[in-house]
Parts: sequence; C-alpha cells; structure tokens
Amino acid sequence: MALTRTAPDRAGGERARLPGAGRAGWRRRRDAVGLVFALPALVLFAAFAIYPMLRVFQLSLYDYNLTSPPVWVGLDNFRFLFGDERFLASLGASLFYVAVTYGPAVLLALILALGLNTRMHGSAFVRLLYFAPVATSWVAVSVIWRLVLQPEGLLNQTLNTDIPWLTSSTWAKWAIAIAAIWKEVGFFLIIFLAGLQNIPKDLQEAAALDGAGSLRRLRYVTLPLLKPITVVVLVMAVIRGFQSFSPQVVLTGGSFGTEVINLFVYKTAFASARMGRASAVAVLMFILLLMVTFVQLRALRRSA
Amino acid sequence: MSARARARAVLIPAAAVLAVAAACGSDGGSTGDGDQIELTYWTHTHPPMTELNEQLIAEYEEANPNVDITYETIPNNDFGTKMLTSLSNGSGPDIINMDDSALRGEYIPKQLLAPIDPSAFGVESVEELEALYVDGTLDGAKGDDDTLYGVPSEFNATAFAINTQHFADAGLDPASPPQTWDDVSEYGQQLVAAGHEGFNFVYLHSGWHTQQLQTLLNETGGSILNEDGTGSALTEPESVEALQIWYDLIREDQVGNADTASREATSPFEDFASGRRSMTMIYPWAVEQIAQDNPETFENLAVVPLPQVDPANPSGRWYGYYFAVNKASEQQEEAWRFIEYMTSQHERWLTDVNFVQPLQGWEQSEAAANIPFLDVWSQAYQQGTFDEVGPHWSEVQDAIKAAVERSIFDGQPPAESLEEASESVDQSVSS
Repeated sequence: MALTRTAPDRAGGERARLPGAGRAGWRRRRDAVGLVFALPALVLFAAFAIYPMLRVFQLSLYDYNLTSPPVWVGLDNFRFLFGDERFLASLGASLFYVAVTYGPAVLLALILALGLNTRMHGSAFVRLLYFAPVATSWVAVSVIWRLVLQPEGLLNQTLNTDIPWLTSSTWAKWAIAIAAIWKEVGFFLIIFLAGLQNIPKDLQEAAALDGAGSLRRLRYVTLPLLKPITVVVLVMAVIRGFQSFSPQVVLTGGSFGTEVINLFVYKTAFASARMGRASAVAVLMFILLLMVTFVQLRALRRSA
Repeated sequence: MSARARARAVLIPAAAVLAVAAACGSDGGSTGDGDQIELTYWTHTHPPMTELNEQLIAEYEEANPNVDITYETIPNNDFGTKMLTSLSNGSGPDIINMDDSALRGEYIPKQLLAPIDPSAFGVESVEELEALYVDGTLDGAKGDDDTLYGVPSEFNATAFAINTQHFADAGLDPASPPQTWDDVSEYGQQLVAAGHEGFNFVYLHSGWHTQQLQTLLNETGGSILNEDGTGSALTEPESVEALQIWYDLIREDQVGNADTASREATSPFEDFASGRRSMTMIYPWAVEQIAQDNPETFENLAVVPLPQVDPANPSGRWYGYYFAVNKASEQQEEAWRFIEYMTSQHERWLTDVNFVQPLQGWEQSEAAANIPFLDVWSQAYQQGTFDEVGPHWSEVQDAIKAAVERSIFDGQPPAESLEEASESVDQSVSS
C-alpha cells in the first residue's frame, strides 16, 4: 500500500499515514457530518435573518402598505428620503447619540478597565457592579432613569437644578445619553478587561526594567497591544449606537429631537404602514454602517 | 465509525431539521372541534372597562358554552400600532374596539373591517339599525360610501371638570365656572396663587395632542386640513389662534406646568384625579375612573360646560369607540352576535363605567338618571363634531404633536411652529 502524504495532527505530531483516496473520503464524510449538524442552525439563520434581509432590499424598491399589493417604484423611496426633513433629523439624532454616548462610554470603560486590571481585594465585586446595568434590560433601565430625570427627580435634586431633562429639545438628547453611558460602560469595560488580561506580563516587566514609567508603559506597551480589542470595541459601539431604540421610546417617545433612526423606521413601517419607505431607510443604514465600519477598520489598521 | 454510527450521525440531525420545519409549518389554526367557536377580542387599557368586559364575556360564554373568547388589553401607547399591524397582516383579533379617527382614517379605507350584519341586532337593514341610535352618532364608523362598519361601545362629548375645594381655597365660586378660555386663565392664575396647578392639557401621545388641539380648532373655526383634504390649513389665522390659546395659558399665564404633567397613559387625568390640578377638559368615562380611584377628589368634582372662545356660538368635540369585526375573521357571524350582546347591556355600560352608548332615549333611561352631571353631558352631546381625518393620519398627528411640543415645551411662537408642522402635513397627505 502506497503512503502518499502526512498531515500534522492537533498536537503538532504526525497523523497516521492514510492512503490519498481514503483520506479524501474521510474528509468528505467529516464535512458532510459537520454540515448536517450545522444544518438546523443554518436553516433557521436563513429563514429568520437572510431571507428577511433580502426581502427588505426588495421591498425598498416598492410602495407597500401591508394591505394592497406592492407597487414597483424603483428608487423613489430613496429619492424621497434624501429630501425628507424628518428622516434627516432622525439621522442627525442617531449620529448625536452615537457620538455623545459611545465616545465617553468607550473612554470611560478603558480608564476603568485600566484601574480594575489588578488583583486587589474586591475588584471582582466592583466589576460585577459595573456589569450589572449591562445585564438589565433597556426598558427597565429606562424606567429607572425616567424617575431619576423627572423634574423633581434625583438628578435635579443632586445638582440643585430645575432642568426639564425629558421635556426639552435642548436637554432630552443629553439626558438619554447620560442614561446610556451609565448602561453601556460595563459592556465595554468587560471587553477591555479581557484584552488587558491577555497582554503578557513580561512585556510590562521588561519595559519597567528599561526605566519606563507607568504612563510610558501605558502609551508604548498597553495601548498598542490593546489595539485589536479597541477596533472591535469601536465597531461594536457604532453598531450598538445606531441600533438604539428602547431608551428613546421609554424616556421621550421620540419627542424633543430624540427620534433616532430605528424609531423612525418603526413608526414609518408600523404606524404609517409605509413598508417600502421604511425598508429603504433600513437599506441606507445598512450601507452607512458598512461604510463606517470599513473606514474604522482601515484607519485603525493604517495607524497600527 | 461504524455504519450504524454514521447513519445515526446523519439521521438524528436530519430528524431535528424535519421537526423544526414541521413546527414552523404548522398553521395552529384548527381548534380540533368543529362545534367549538373561538373568538379573539382586543381593546385598549382602561381598568373599569376591562373589568366590565371580563364580566360580560364570562356571561356570554356561560350562555353559549360552545364559544370561547380570548380577551386581550393592549397598552394605550401601543394600541393603534399593534392593532393596525396585526389586522393588516391577517393576524388580528376577530373583534376590535377602536376609536373613530382610526376607523375612518385607516381601517375603513384599507378595507380591514367587515360591514355590519344588521340581522345580528334583530333588524333587517342598516337603516333600521341606524334608527335605533341618536342621529349622527354612527358616522364615526362609516366609510365614504356610507357603509357602516361598527356600533359604539362608548360615545364621548367634551366637558370641563373643576375641583370645587380648590375653587374655595382660591376664593372662587364653584357655581360660576369659567365660560371662556380667558376665564380659565384668570381663574387658573388665582388657583396657582392658592397653591394648586390651575389648568393644563394632557400630554400623552400624538392622539391626545391632536384631539385637544382639535377641540380648540372647533371653537376658533380653524382646521388641520384644507377643505378638500389635500393639504394643511394649520397656518390659517383661525388655526394659529387655537394653538395660541394653549400657548398663552401654559407659557404666558403659567396656569400649569407642562414639564411636570403626568405621562401615565392608563390614567390620563391623573393630575386632576390626584388633587394636584384644579381644572381639566374631561370625558364621561373619566368621571367613573376618578370615582373609583380617587373618591376624595370625586367628592369635590363638578362637571361644567366646556369653556368657549365664543360662548354665544358654542362648539364641542365628539369621539367614539366602536365595536367592529375583522374582515379576515372566519367567525364573523358569531362575532356580531357577541357585539349585539355587548351593546344590549348598554345600561350596565352607563352605570358601571359611564360609557354612553347613544341609543335613542338613553338620557331618559333609569341608568342615566343616576349619572352625575347628566344635564351637562346632555348639553355637550348636542353640539359636537367628529375629528378630522385624512391620509396617513398618524404622520399628521406626529406633526401636530411636534408643533405642540415646540411651542408649549420649547417656547417657539405658535405661528412658526405650525408653519413647520404645515410642511410636514402637506408632505404626508400628498405622498
């Protein structure tokens, strides 16, 4: 029997020599079995993720009100949106929310992660406290913050102010951002902590032996090695920001300049029954997020 | 791997896929019993109404053992959206209870409802059925071609409530209630000085903002849409005057604080009911809710005619909720029979929850005799009009809500605010 080739096994050694035809057959069988195991998940994914996405792309080219047959309108929905003040305002509200919430949230999470990346007594409990809001539903968090932000609520009492946090176009978007930062910091904190704990200790020790102080070690060792995690965090931050819906619904109902893009889609689709137009917004957002993510990845790769 | 093991590795996941596919493919529509009839019935949330609905359903099921009714209440802020979406995609309830604006603006034009079945009400024609009701009160459930799609579960006129104790606190005479909005301002400022919130509107969702502005528009002669319904009339002087009344009361005269107003949609008159506010616009159903939840306030409650811009030419606002049947229902006959039973209990609706079902002579009924402030309500029912509706009405309501918020909360002058709203309305009704 001719022995044709060898393949390393998982431990790095040599797998038992197999005849070519036999090994190819074994691979085909392995792939088939793997595919069969993956099939239930793939079927569900195709039915509940891929198909609806494709339908959204298709519907964006139609005028469809749920009760009458869809009417082909080509790119009219997109043309309308570019001149629609309400859509542009909701896009602006989303951009504001992403910038004002996730910029500070990510920065704060990084600072806290650096502080908590020690083996000091009780640090696990402190981490748990920061993570608790993440494990709480957005609706519950919003209800809590509605109490905090009401005119006679905790925030005004603490600041000794009389600010209409939730009923003013000046303040409502900031109020939601404050609540969102409180909720989202823990999520990014955990990711940063995981990244920090993967940085080899000997690199820090070598830098210290070379005379680098803590700030120089942070700048030249920690942050560069944390860059892959930072990329992931920034991409996730932008996506999570644009997906926001619940805090705006519960805290303001989308009033006072807080109608973010997802809320606009929801109202357009289900309150106004303009499914085609709502689908066009979803397609635009998909393209926008794809572009933003691409730009983020390129920019961070270039700076690496 | 043995042949048996290989077969197991392939067959078990395949069976799982088939099981999932079979589950996804099940229509779940069969009751498994040909004689058993299942009905679904959705309403908004109003606790006194919910309680009576549950009682009447239990009675109907007892009298008709083959009928099983699933009753669901939907939170008020989501009610319109959930009902419209579910009816549109064919998954809605058999029986709906919906306000006239939604019926005339969305459900009837979109052909989501079944025309009424007069035989279920023991009459031979729609005309005979209409003759049972006070003139004009079924118009809230009619299409442009006069086809009738429902009968009222509650029919409301608008009046004004005052807290007599607060009036006494401020040195005002409850027997001389405000007759004009200028009076409301004057009295309101005195009530504020006495430590109460004088008057305010209700700020819950776009439907409430619109209906309150509509009440003022009816008085000033303004309107939301132009005569042929093709564009906005919100920048007309009479329309601006309506929002100006609201603006002057809250921002200029400061008879109430919009920022601190309750946002509890299940209890829209919470601020008045809790004894914080002294004056409010009110509807018949709210009186019973106050009586049940806040007996102390109810003791000091007086319902008086709605203040007017021109008391010599009074106007009012009507609105109603109607029982109707989903056009896609497979149990339409039974659904109308159930509705007939619900409307046959009109005296209990009046006695238990202050819902007026405007059958001819309802004011002379035994149940009406015990309704507080019947004379005021009777007068209010004489001078009402239904709200305007038009294409894509939810967007129009959103535009009005935004205009009210810009003016009342942010301080933008009403003319400017309505100018912006007008552009949105034009765009909504024309596209």
